Amino acid sequence: MDEKVKVADRGKTLEDLKQTDADLRLPSVVEPAHFPIETLAPEARQQTPAVGQRATRPDGRLHGLGQTKYIDDITFPNMLHAKIKRAGIAAALIKSIDTSEAEKMPGVMAVLTGNEIPVNSFGPSYQDQPVLAYERVFHAGDGVAAVAALTEQIAVEALDKIKVEYEPIEAVFDPMLAMQEDAPKVHPPHDNVYATKAIKKGDVEKGFAEADKIFEGRFSTQMIEHVPLEPHASIAEWDGNGRVTLWSSLGRITLGRADISRTLNMPINKIRIVGTVVGGNFGGKNEITTEPVLALLSKKTGRPVKMIYSREEEFIASTTRHPFIMDYKTGVMNDGRIVARKVRLVLDGGAYCSWSETTLGKACILSAGPYNIDNLHVEAFCTYTNKTMAGAMRGFGAPQVCFAYESHMDDIAHDLGIDPLEIRMLNAFEEGSLSPTGQVLQSVVVKESLQTAAERFGWKEFSK
Amino acid sequence: MVMRAFDLVSAETADQAVALLAEHGSEAMILAGGTDMLVDLKHDKHRPAVVVDISRAGDLKGIEITDEGLRIGALVTHTEIMKSPIVQENFPAMVHAAHTIGAVQTRNLGTLGGNLVTCVPSMDSGPTLMALDAEVAVAGPDGRRRMTLDEFFVGPRKTTLKENELLVDILIPKKNVGKPVDFLKFGLRKGQALALVNAASSFWVDWDKNAFVEPRISLGAVAPTVIRVPEAEAYLDGREITPDATAEAARLAVEAAKPISDFRASAEYRRDLIAVLTRRTLENAYDLAKAKR
Amino acid sequence: MTDVSMTVNGEERTASVPPETTLLTVLRENFFLTGSKLGCDVGDCGACTVLVDGIPVNACLMLAGQAEGRDIVTIEGLANQDGMHPLQQAFENLASLQCGFCGPGVIISAKALLEENPDPSVDDIRDALSGNLCRCTGYTKMIEAVQDAARIMRGESADEAA
Ligand SMILES: Cc1cc2nc3c(=O)[nH]c(=O)nc-3n(C[C@H](O)[C@H](O)[C@H](O)COP(=O)(O)OP(=O)(O)OC[C@H]3O[C@@H](n4cnc5c(N)ncnc54)[C@H](O)[C@@H]3O)c2cc1C
Ligand code: FES
Ligand code: FES
Repeated sequence: MDEKVKVADRGKTLEDLKQTDADLRLPSVVEPAHFPIETLAPEARQQTPAVGQRATRPDGRLHGLGQTKYIDDITFPNMLHAKIKRAGIAAALIKSIDTSEAEKMPGVMAVLTGNEIPVNSFGPSYQDQPVLAYERVFHAGDGVAAVAALTEQIAVEALDKIKVEYEPIEAVFDPMLAMQEDAPKVHPPHDNVYATKAIKKGDVEKGFAEADKIFEGRFSTQMIEHVPLEPHASIAEWDGNGRVTLWSSLGRITLGRADISRTLNMPINKIRIVGTVVGGNFGGKNEITTEPVLALLSKKTGRPVKMIYSREEEFIASTTRHPFIMDYKTGVMNDGRIVARKVRLVLDGGAYCSWSETTLGKACILSAGPYNIDNLHVEAFCTYTNKTMAGAMRGFGAPQVCFAYESHMDDIAHDLGIDPLEIRMLNAFEEGSLSPTGQVLQSVVVKESLQTAAERFGWKEFSK
Repeated sequence: MVMRAFDLVSAETADQAVALLAEHGSEAMILAGGTDMLVDLKHDKHRPAVVVDISRAGDLKGIEITDEGLRIGALVTHTEIMKSPIVQENFPAMVHAAHTIGAVQTRNLGTLGGNLVTCVPSMDSGPTLMALDAEVAVAGPDGRRRMTLDEFFVGPRKTTLKENELLVDILIPKKNVGKPVDFLKFGLRKGQALALVNAASSFWVDWDKNAFVEPRISLGAVAPTVIRVPEAEAYLDGREITPDATAEAARLAVEAAKPISDFRASAEYRRDLIAVLTRRTLENAYDLAKAKR
Repeated sequence: MTDVSMTVNGEERTASVPPETTLLTVLRENFFLTGSKLGCDVGDCGACTVLVDGIPVNACLMLAGQAEGRDIVTIEGLANQDGMHPLQQAFENLASLQCGFCGPGVIISAKALLEENPDPSVDDIRDALSGNLCRCTGYTKMIEAVQDAARIMRGESADEAA
């Protein structure tokens, strides 16, 4: 967090800082070009010739031949292999890290700890994640030291020899508890709730007063790992010209470059990222992980350094899908029309913010479902816990809320004795409907697609 | 994940393997198909100095009917069991049980011996064999000994096998060759999923009385090892085969089991599964008996 | 160090490796056949599937020493200068792979299936591919591609039955 920036930058003059800042900026900003957008965009519902065509993929042949080069298929002369020691404890103060035994091992070329990282924090919205934890552990998957060695085997053995002394502190794992006033703080002095959002439309209390019936339900979803078949992987090479090249499975290389530049306190033009073919991303490879560590290990050794996450690290040290706890309250008329809905979402963000804000926003906007509801109140909170961080994953919160509002809808239909399809047809968006945030919706085909789907899979016969 | 360093020696026969175990003592471990062993080594669960590879020991292979019964070498893979005409003819349930293990790649490497020695409660080869009163033969420096699976299994990942002993073969006694038996596994997916519960039932039928004879019920993933359910067996023995009888046996099986709750399923869910699988395996074994009559 | 020699894609290959080296590592790091992938390292995903004496196994669960003297086929052994294997062609035509990381393993498993069963049902294909995880595709197009390739290999035209 911001304090850490100060700590890491201590001893610098204001001029230095200004310079660093200037170095991080892109050299110039180009006026956006004015394309004739209107003529490029197809008319609403116009079928373009691509739809319905069979397409092959430009990279498909090499995939099938086994010739596509993913990171682990690339090697360089003299390349070293890195491994990271994971904390294995959810919340603790780090009293000491002793790497001396590891450094003495034959074949160990360099060891790195958090204090050697120029700016030991990163993150797409809040820079709350240490590259390597140094003073404090925030979740069990935190890296606390890294080793570069001649072989992976030596690196693994070196990790055993690194002694870390922890002082355990109280951890919090349940997002509901984490939101309470007296809960242990994951990132003191900051509150555990680090992002909130609210949407208000109409008058929800008035709506409930008018409703014939009120339904309430709580829904929750679990943490999910992306499990890309190719684990996170990168290679770093720091060269004699003072430049670093990274081959990385990162999905967003431009953002990654800015993050790496910041953590290394190094101008962005000295950082080159080669984005290789990614063996599955699904949102999990949207931000940097070990890249700065590998860069610094390469700087220390003067040799290229590779690291591939183990499958276990993929689960404990990369982002996951946010678990949600979702409270729904819905006011309905006897005919099934929804007149008011109140939604409260609690997102378990895990130890770091990552892409929580984006997830929170999307989840809020979509939480009412594709239904016309005049009186709506959505409030959402994202909270830290001492668990693996949640971040971007396909849908950014949409699947979680969809599970909740559709389950809720089924409960309501069941209770009112209305056909589940009918209650949806009655409430669904139409051309020109207003979204919860007041957007006028176009090309709306919810009802048509529901109807077609119902016919195709024989809803009538099935629901008898 | 990398494995720690070890020496690799290869045994061409069972005797050689026993000699190598004797030579290296507690430092040595057996490697067969490697589908459990290499996973464990990668997770740093064992640190053997010497690994004795038995995958080339021809005398540990083979499936045959001998004077004593149906003998299956410890090194027979799950795929070989599925493809064996002898097994197909006598025990379709064993073919099915083998088919539920992992996926093609795992079945091509993994061996019956390895499955029994690893001795996880959810092992899929255990229940059918136990329901057929199968025995294992174990070779050590002092010769060979035989025991039933009941005696062989001790607890999760624990058998009576000593450090210097080798599992040689598995024997289904002559009297049970052809005994009707059925196996069912319930996992969360069809492939690559461990059993939440698995079960096997077997019995002969006294056709005059339409009654159970020598009934055996065996369950996996519901106790520290694969277990038999003597209470249900005693209840069924000699009793007429009726839906009520099978339902009562299923209830007794639920009572005898001690399932746990874990991330795969709750104990409660497992208890429901025990009842259903016990009943179905009894019914299926009966159908098989009728077809064979 | 253990000296190992084996036939890989029809060629005699030898290497001297530490005993704890897996077949997958030898193939990738000593023979530079990087087509077989490391996905999980514990037998769950099938990205490392190769044929050993004609049967598909997880190369991550076999020691190099256990492959001594055996006949190994990897994804690199399927195509030659004259063309691709019908499976590779069908996977390309139908865009059956997305990120592609699972592809080599899937195609090797499918090859083993078609060698044993030239006319597999969808269930047979599903069973044969059950040890190959794909996180991108949902398998539908892979199954279609295996059917297409099977038809080609039987001498029929790919979309005859389609
Ligand atoms: C992806 C995957 C999925 C799986 N799914 C299933 C499943 O669905 N159901 C199931 O039951 N199992 C499953 N397994 C477990 C495994 O495949 C079986 O237990 C297999 O049969 C083990 O045999 P192996 O030859 O590979 O044993 P190894 O791994 O070679 O050995 C296992 C253990 O047994 C010892 N051992 C082996 N043979 C002997 C012998 N003859 N004498 C003495 N000791 C010996 C070894 O020292 C070691 O401790 C799965 C494994 C994997 C990797
Ligand atoms: S890497 Fe071998 S099965 Fe996944
Ligand atoms: S295509 Fe990406 S895992 Fe199969």
